[in-house]
Amino acid sequence: MLQAIRERAQGWIAWLIVGLISVPFALWGIQSYTGFGGEPVAAVVDGADITQREFDQRFQNTRMELRERLGAAYRPDLIDDRQLRAEVLDDMIRERLVLETSRALGLRASDQEVRMTVLADPAFQVKGRFDKETYETRLRQNGMVPAQFEDRLRQRLLVAQLPRALVATELVTDREMDEATRLTRQKRDLSYLTLAAERFASADPVPDAEIAGYYETNRAKFEIPEQVKVEYLVLDAEHMPGVATPSDDKLREAYEAHPERFGQPERRRARHILISVPAGADADTEAKAKAAVDAARGRIAQGEDFAAVAKEVSQDPGTKAKGGDLGEFGRGVMDPAFEKAAFAQAQGQLGEPVRSRFGFHLIETTGITPASIKPFEAVKPELIVEVTKQDASAHFFDLSERLATLSYENRDSLAPAAEQLGLKVEASDWVPRTGGAGVFASPKVLTAAFSEDLVKQGVNSEIIEPEKGKMEVVVLRVLDHREPSVKPLDEVRAEVIDALQQRRSQAAALAAASALSERLKAGAKLADIAGDYALTQPGALTREDAKVPQPIRDLAFTLPRPAAGAQSAGTAELPEGAALVVVTQVEDGSLEGAPPGVKAQQAQALTQAIGSQGYRHLLEDLESRAKIERKPLAEGSNLE
Amino acid sequence: MADYETDDEKVEAIKKWWKENGMSVVAGVAIGLAAVFGWRAWVEHRELVGQQASAAFEQLMANAEGEDSAAALAQADAIRAGFGGSAYASLADLMVARVKLKAGDAAGAVAALEQVMTQAPDPALARIAALRLARILLDKGDLDRAAAIAAQYADTGSFSGDFAAIQGDIAASQGRVAEARTAYERAIAAGASLSQLLKLKLDNLPAAG
Repeated sequence: MLQAIRERAQGWIAWLIVGLISVPFALWGIQSYTGFGGEPVAAVVDGADITQREFDQRFQNTRMELRERLGAAYRPDLIDDRQLRAEVLDDMIRERLVLETSRALGLRASDQEVRMTVLADPAFQVKGRFDKETYETRLRQNGMVPAQFEDRLRQRLLVAQLPRALVATELVTDREMDEATRLTRQKRDLSYLTLAAERFASADPVPDAEIAGYYETNRAKFEIPEQVKVEYLVLDAEHMPGVATPSDDKLREAYEAHPERFGQPERRRARHILISVPAGADADTEAKAKAAVDAARGRIAQGEDFAAVAKEVSQDPGTKAKGGDLGEFGRGVMDPAFEKAAFAQAQGQLGEPVRSRFGFHLIETTGITPASIKPFEAVKPELIVEVTKQDASAHFFDLSERLATLSYENRDSLAPAAEQLGLKVEASDWVPRTGGAGVFASPKVLTAAFSEDLVKQGVNSEIIEPEKGKMEVVVLRVLDHREPSVKPLDEVRAEVIDALQQRRSQAAALAAASALSERLKAGAKLADIAGDYALTQPGALTREDAKVPQPIRDLAFTLPRPAAGAQSAGTAELPEGAALVVVTQVEDGSLEGAPPGVKAQQAQALTQAIGSQGYRHLLEDLESRAKIERKPLAEGSNLE
Repeated sequence: MADYETDDEKVEAIKKWWKENGMSVVAGVAIGLAAVFGWRAWVEHRELVGQQASAAFEQLMANAEGEDSAAALAQADAIRAGFGGSAYASLADLMVARVKLKAGDAAGAVAALEQVMTQAPDPALARIAALRLARILLDKGDLDRAAAIAAQYADTGSFSGDFAAIQGDIAASQGRVAEARTAYERAIAAGASLSQLLKLKLDNLPAAG
């Protein structure tokens, strides 16, 4: 057998085996091109995948942004996860659609634009200039290398180009501007009669069946929400029994642990002569500047006075007149090259020229204030404050730990913990889920107070920190719990009758207004039919004029435009009554008399609005033509 | 495959095979390599041209934003000359229409938009151009042409509301109130732009036509 294999191995079998082995090598890595057996996919847009991983990441970021934006108001339980997921996915699909469309159209983001964007980003700048090191560090912190970041940036820029282009090219015609002005600034001449509901009140009794019916259909109005009554302990660092002033020994210990904290680093005084070189200067300019600075150095070395030479040749406008004196400075203030030289030179020594980003400097260090450490006595007040604070917080954490233990060991009562720690047990009134004052404003406290464990078993809660970072903890216990309920009819009967009578008179007022309106249509004038209803004639008004109740204004501006000499009439419902409204004249709006610039501003706003809506329609158009496939979202595929 | 007795015979057979097929193998490999490199070069070239067009268009947007209409029109000409038929050429034409309309040259704006309608690489761009064109025609009182365009594009999905609004404007300016009313209502229902303003137009119509 083996013999046979050896013989054949020289022949076709060998080639076959080599052939078979070569197949996997040839196909190695092909899955990255075909997406073959790759990651799970959240959606496919015209053949382009949005992977589950991309989706999860974006979802996570969105939630984080939401949390940052809402701050303390962020309540995870109030956010509909499923809806948020759907929204995030829709956003990503739209973005991908624009990206794919832009690519298919041949749109590109140029290298130049990518570069400009990176250079202009304040996050990558030090003192207003782009800094390569900062750039790379920032990216590393986010787990990226420049090439990766630039790719993403390019994609973002590309996605933004089409909407920008559409809005920037949008136009507005004179007719549209005029029409918008005429309509939005329109004034209508109106008058109205007010028919107060109370005038239509009747003493007729309300039938019982009607009362029962109203009660049944409006049960929600009479609901009492779920409530709890609790007792609780609050441990608060601000209201703790005082902490003794620390002893001198303790203070000295704190001082000696890190004396360098009280130190003042070395400072130096220097003067300089600057021959400036503009950024991006050519070699020739550079050489000339170098020659000039060398010449100045030569003159001083020959015995000329530094200050005199500085006055004559220095190009630093700030110090030139003072003979180049820069005053005293610490580290981290000057240009790095300058600082290095100034802190390396001996006092009174004239250094070699140094090149900074401003140009060439000739530096002389004129004074040295060595590093020093303040003595204990000088910093004692500072130490007392610090150590007291430390002691207080240590004491607080110690107490809260004991509180946790005591309330856990005596699960059915807060009394032992209160007694041993000198706290007072406080009791609340009924608190609904929506919260109340004091500690009941905290979502964490409410969540605990309505949790099943506490409500059903009546045990103590764990210790709760209502607000992160504030030294305050709460332990609570539910005393009583009330399920949501509806007030019985007997209790609310008067309220129901009131509402029904109100409704009745409201309907009567509206009916009366309608009847009057018929007479207006037959040609009567408002003043003639007013009778003893209140007639108001405010004259010509704009849409926004708050002089007249909103329902009346809304109606007046939706009534048909009356022909000359005629009138339009209608009835409006008011909160307590009805109004009969008549429009006699419509005055078109104009920009006459408006300050200059308003017209241009409005034209721009209108253009912007039309442009962005045009883009919205383009998106919808693309969406309707694209093949979009949403995969069912895997619930809980990511962790909070 | 046949068995061979000696090495010489094998060498002989290989030589013979090579003589018969060598040319095609070399040619095949050469064509394959040329195709791969050619494709790469083509993709790179397209990328480069696309980037140049993009930069040129950004420049055009900057010119237009700076209200420098002479420079903007010159830049648009350059884009059309250098990147004719591309999406950037169409976007440049959209910009030309805006700049010319602002300068009072409605005929020039109309010509630019018509060019986009015939040359746009995507129907959505053509629809946007048609909508802008109809609005300019309406402004200049050329109601018949505006109506023709609005009718032609009446069934364009998300843009249909905007074209319905144009039809409403035309009917309103010709005093056909009932028709204007239904057109505006249709426009609002179809999600036309500036629906608030459309509502105002609707409310401003006289009672009966």
